[in-house]
Amino acid sequence: MADAHELTKTKKSFAAVGIALLVFTVVTVTIGLAPIFDFGPPGPDGMDFVLGLAVATVKASLVALIFMHLNHEKGLIYKILLFTVLFATGLMVLTLFADIDPIREQFDTLQTTRGWLTEKP
Amino acid sequence: MSAATAHEHAEAHGGHDDHHEHHDPFWKKYIFSTDHKVIGIQYGFTSLVFLAFGFFLMMVMRWSIAYPDRAVPLLADWPWFQAWLDDGGKVTGDLYNMFGAMHGTIMVFLGIVPLAFGAFGNYVTPLQIGAPDMAFPRLNMASYWLYLLGGALMFVSFFLPSGAAKAGWTNYSPLATTTDLHYGDLFWTGQTQWLVAMALLISSSLLGAVNFICTIINLRCKGMTWMRLPFFVWAMLVTGFLLLLAFPPLEVAAIMQLMDRLAGTSFFVPSGLNVSGMAFDAAGGGSPLLYQHLFWFLAHPEVYVLILPAIAIVAEIIPCNTRKPLWGYKTMVYAVMVLGFLAFIVWAHHMYITGMGPAISTFFQTTTVLISVPSVILITSLLISMWGGSIRFNTPMLFATAFIPMFGIGGLTGLPLAFSLPDLHLHDTYYVIGHFHYVVAPGTIFALFAGIYHWYPKITGRMMSSKLGHLHFWPSLIFMNGIFSPMFFQGMAGFHRRAFDGGKAYEQISQQIFAEPNTFFANIAEMLHVIDADAPLRMIDLNLVTSGSAWLLAVFQVPFIINLFLSVFIGKKVSSDNPWNATTLEWATPTPPPHGNFAKEPVAYRGPYEYSVPGAPRDFTPQFETDPSLTAGSEHDSEPSEEIILSAH
Amino acid sequence: MEIPYEVTPRRDTGLYNAKLGIWLFLASEVMLFGGLFSAYVFMRLGIQDGVDNPWPWGVSVHKNFVWLGAINTIVLIASSVGVVFAWVALKERNWRRYQIYMYFVVACAVVFMCIKTVEYNSKLNHHHGIKLVDNSVMEGTILNKTDRISFKGEKLTFSLNGALPAVLRDLEGDAFPKFKVTEGPEGTVGVEIQSLSQFKGWFADSRRAASERLTEERKRFRGELAGGAANPKPVSVVSSVTLTAAEPFGLSGSPRKIVAHTETALNYKDGVKVEGKLVNDDVLFEVHEVDLQLVLPTKQRDSVVWSVINDEHAKQQFFTSQSKKYQELLEYYKKHGGVIPEEQLRGRFLNVQYVHVAAEGHEGEHGKEDKHADVHTSQSNPTAGGGEGEGKHGPSKHIAVARDKIKFMGNHGPRYGTYYAIYFTMTALHGLHVIGGALVLLFFVVFGKKLYLKNPEHLANRVEVGGLFWHFVDLVWIFLFPIMYLL
Ligand code: HEM
Ligand SMILES: [Cu+2]
Repeated sequence: MADAHELTKTKKSFAAVGIALLVFTVVTVTIGLAPIFDFGPPGPDGMDFVLGLAVATVKASLVALIFMHLNHEKGLIYKILLFTVLFATGLMVLTLFADIDPIREQFDTLQTTRGWLTEKP
Repeated sequence: MSAATAHEHAEAHGGHDDHHEHHDPFWKKYIFSTDHKVIGIQYGFTSLVFLAFGFFLMMVMRWSIAYPDRAVPLLADWPWFQAWLDDGGKVTGDLYNMFGAMHGTIMVFLGIVPLAFGAFGNYVTPLQIGAPDMAFPRLNMASYWLYLLGGALMFVSFFLPSGAAKAGWTNYSPLATTTDLHYGDLFWTGQTQWLVAMALLISSSLLGAVNFICTIINLRCKGMTWMRLPFFVWAMLVTGFLLLLAFPPLEVAAIMQLMDRLAGTSFFVPSGLNVSGMAFDAAGGGSPLLYQHLFWFLAHPEVYVLILPAIAIVAEIIPCNTRKPLWGYKTMVYAVMVLGFLAFIVWAHHMYITGMGPAISTFFQTTTVLISVPSVILITSLLISMWGGSIRFNTPMLFATAFIPMFGIGGLTGLPLAFSLPDLHLHDTYYVIGHFHYVVAPGTIFALFAGIYHWYPKITGRMMSSKLGHLHFWPSLIFMNGIFSPMFFQGMAGFHRRAFDGGKAYEQISQQIFAEPNTFFANIAEMLHVIDADAPLRMIDLNLVTSGSAWLLAVFQVPFIINLFLSVFIGKKVSSDNPWNATTLEWATPTPPPHGNFAKEPVAYRGPYEYSVPGAPRDFTPQFETDPSLTAGSEHDSEPSEEIILSAH
Repeated sequence: MEIPYEVTPRRDTGLYNAKLGIWLFLASEVMLFGGLFSAYVFMRLGIQDGVDNPWPWGVSVHKNFVWLGAINTIVLIASSVGVVFAWVALKERNWRRYQIYMYFVVACAVVFMCIKTVEYNSKLNHHHGIKLVDNSVMEGTILNKTDRISFKGEKLTFSLNGALPAVLRDLEGDAFPKFKVTEGPEGTVGVEIQSLSQFKGWFADSRRAASERLTEERKRFRGELAGGAANPKPVSVVSSVTLTAAEPFGLSGSPRKIVAHTETALNYKDGVKVEGKLVNDDVLFEVHEVDLQLVLPTKQRDSVVWSVINDEHAKQQFFTSQSKKYQELLEYYKKHGGVIPEEQLRGRFLNVQYVHVAAEGHEGEHGKEDKHADVHTSQSNPTAGGGEGEGKHGPSKHIAVARDKIKFMGNHGPRYGTYYAIYFTMTALHGLHVIGGALVLLFFVVFGKKLYLKNPEHLANRVEVGGLFWHFVDLVWIFLFPIMYLL
């Protein structure tokens, strides 16, 4: 990567990614704040979460691929990261599953408070 | 870098370093050393001291179990014990809890792992792959010092007003969050210091893991292809990954628990928690289960960290002493990788009774059963490796041989625990204690002993006495089993673990009869004065068998300690650099290996276990030996080319 | 001895040691933050409606912090770009440009941490909440700057077996009270204590003496037991002492350390008892918002909070605004078909409303305020960020909240709930990474010249490795920002 031409190209791509990241930041904030991204009823909105995380993932991949030049690396690092990500996901997902397993649902307090639903606040 | 220049380079530097070394002051050479061998020895000594200390704690506990209403001998007048013994000099529940928690913690995190991974890993791995040192020598040193600091904190915490941690080595919340909260200075309580010390130990392990993996991947010498790595190195690689990826979640748990204790957060504090009848002053909304998940996400891989190096040591010793290649080397390599992978997705088998539903617990039962397959492959390969060999039963081999059935018992008794149904019955009983101790005590510890006897000649240039070795081995084997086998029966009978009176309070359980009067076991027990003549042997009487064995086990470690220290001075000098006629690269170094290790750049010409190769001049063909048939004609004047090295076998 | 592949990559792996090392380290960092993110998800989804503290979700809660977070995001992105350019500059062997970029990066880190400090400060010092016994919550500011209990102490009683009494930390003023030991084991009675250091010395000595006496006594006891005595005299050692102060001393007792208090005594958790006189244990509070999420809708009108606030107008304000929002919901669901789901009914949209408790003499403004209240509650929370919109409402009344009505109180620090706990833990940990990374990068630029002259490629490698860490820190923030501030 040492020759000058390559380096200029790299610089350009770094700058482009920098700008893209700024743009995406604006998008993220807009998703959070602007009503056009509020799909649901008034009040906080679950859809924001999905969109916001999607944008964040795109940003993260840009950083990882270009800034951290993963796109130039050999397979070894990919293998290591693949397993890491796999285990991290496993930790998150399996832990959650263990908690939302149906056996526990019965004790969920929601059921015991359902009674007042019929009344208007 | 061409081969020739590299060689010259190494030589030039080796020479320079030799010269340099004589000028290194003592502290630099032995205390703040960056040499992986010195660090390995430091790790070794420190961890042996901690093992002895953990053993001492356990002996006090065993007294309380065996004689719940008698004063502890010898200790009652020590000033420290005044705060923790009762008026009659008996062990209190608090003291038992403290010693129990610290026994577990010290044995696992300060004893076995540092000895297996820190000491053996450090000393042997770079030698076996032909590297001059670890990839990051200074990180290596930092790793040792962090470990020492963490260990020192653990030790110091005994002397705080609150005593050391008391909530088990698992440190479950909310128990661990709420104990000792009344002290004015929360930071200096044992429970908090446990977390701080663990954070240090975790950092130490992380540095170590990065270093090991890097070293193994990047510093293999010429010709040391992946499938020529000794099995020990493979095990270290997998262990490194286990530490690297499993420890951070525990660090998270430790940080969160630290926040819970010091900053009053409620990560693990559920809503509406009452402690000693009072509403606990915290916002609530947290989950104790989260702690258990984070903890066991580490702690299951951790048990493989405890056992893989042990298997690996045995895998080095067995081929060497049977003079046969390791059977199924490749299978073992793949097995250990699969095992490393599966280790990350079985953790919740420690949590069957937390109310997981059938779906998720089926998942964990399945993976747990799956993981037993590679474990069995490893052990079976070792067993088959012995088949038909002309076995040399020297001390390391004795321990290595005993390892197999001992680990086998530990492993097989684990199978019932893999299924949620039997686990509901066995969870938290002495059965579990028996199970994992068979794995780590007569299992791992025996393997570690084997390793010490095996590599001692390389480290010191002298052999350990084999008479003392036998005096160490046979009683240890007997008493280890004396300690742990009764636990299975007690556990199945319902003896709960962590009971400081050894189950005395639960008469229905403890008075059950293990053997009728005048039957075989009752007779033996009578002979040992455990029971009176013609009395039945009750479950609770087994406590005496266990405790007595434990104390006797301690006595028979004395020959080992003597052997370890005296042999440095009076042991038989080794006659060559390779006294066992072994094949791996560590035996190619001068004895003891100097800083920088190899006198001449090592090259691996063949696989690691070429014993009794048909047609070879001797019954072993070391990895570092050039193959005359391949380099014929050019033997001494030039380096073989890379192609030749790689194509040898 | 030289370790191979320190600068040049190894052929088959394509990596030099440090790069492999940092990637492995980053893998462990992924697991670290992976664990934290898992905890985040677990706790957020694990909240049981109506039982646990609700997760303050949606922008409405932290509107003022969003901008701080967004600026910080931009700062970090800029710094990331800076690092890569610094690396390129090194590759081009341009030391000057390298320096400029690196200092820019470090400056970004400083800015980032400053903004973080502002944010923490605002959460810790300007926002408080009080949860009352029926789980209704008042948000606002604790005014007497102390949720502490003021007390005039006269006598301290404690045991010599434990640690130093926690009460020492709660003493008011600089002067240590003058104590005299009035009760205790023989030898200690009558001792006068003038200063903290003297106290500590005396405590350590007496504790040692008590422990020695205990050893003696126990020896005797065990001896008698062993000698066959059926009922030996039980061990008895006086280890409790009482100190009497020459004149009453001020105490501001930390409620977290106190088990119970009465008009005449404070009982600390560590067993220390203080006798004297209670001065005041009320909490002075300025209410901005009432949060009834944890109170069943049918019980909201009789909630304790209204008797504490004791202002009919504020109550009305709450319910008027609530019913307006209810209409909004009704309309929405009518349009989209279906009924209002339960979470909506229990959620913060309906149950958290702004209220203003006017100080005496300002009731006249109430009429106007209702309108304001609506404007504010529908989009923003005037308490967040402090200041916004508060000036319009005239002075507020400071209500005194009796301690027996309070279940839990505190600032919006990590104690305040699981959201705040994970917020502080994760951002602080991330902050530590920022500081650590910045220090390393600073080191590379301040002390890098020598290496640059000797082996510029080596320095470039170091910067690359440092940069990898820095990008990772940025990457974590990319996720932290939306999940903590926005969504
Ligand atoms: C040979 C020597 C050993 C003996 C006789 C021994 C004995 C014991 C005993 C009696 C207990 C307490 C059981 C209870 O009250 O619940 C215990 C607990 C434990 N031991 Fe050992 N042990 C030995 C070696 C080890 C080793 C080498 C390890 C480590 C790897 C270890 C790890 C543990 C752990 C983790 C616990 C559980 C502590 C807890 O309940 O939190 N032990 N051991
Ligand atoms: Cu397990």
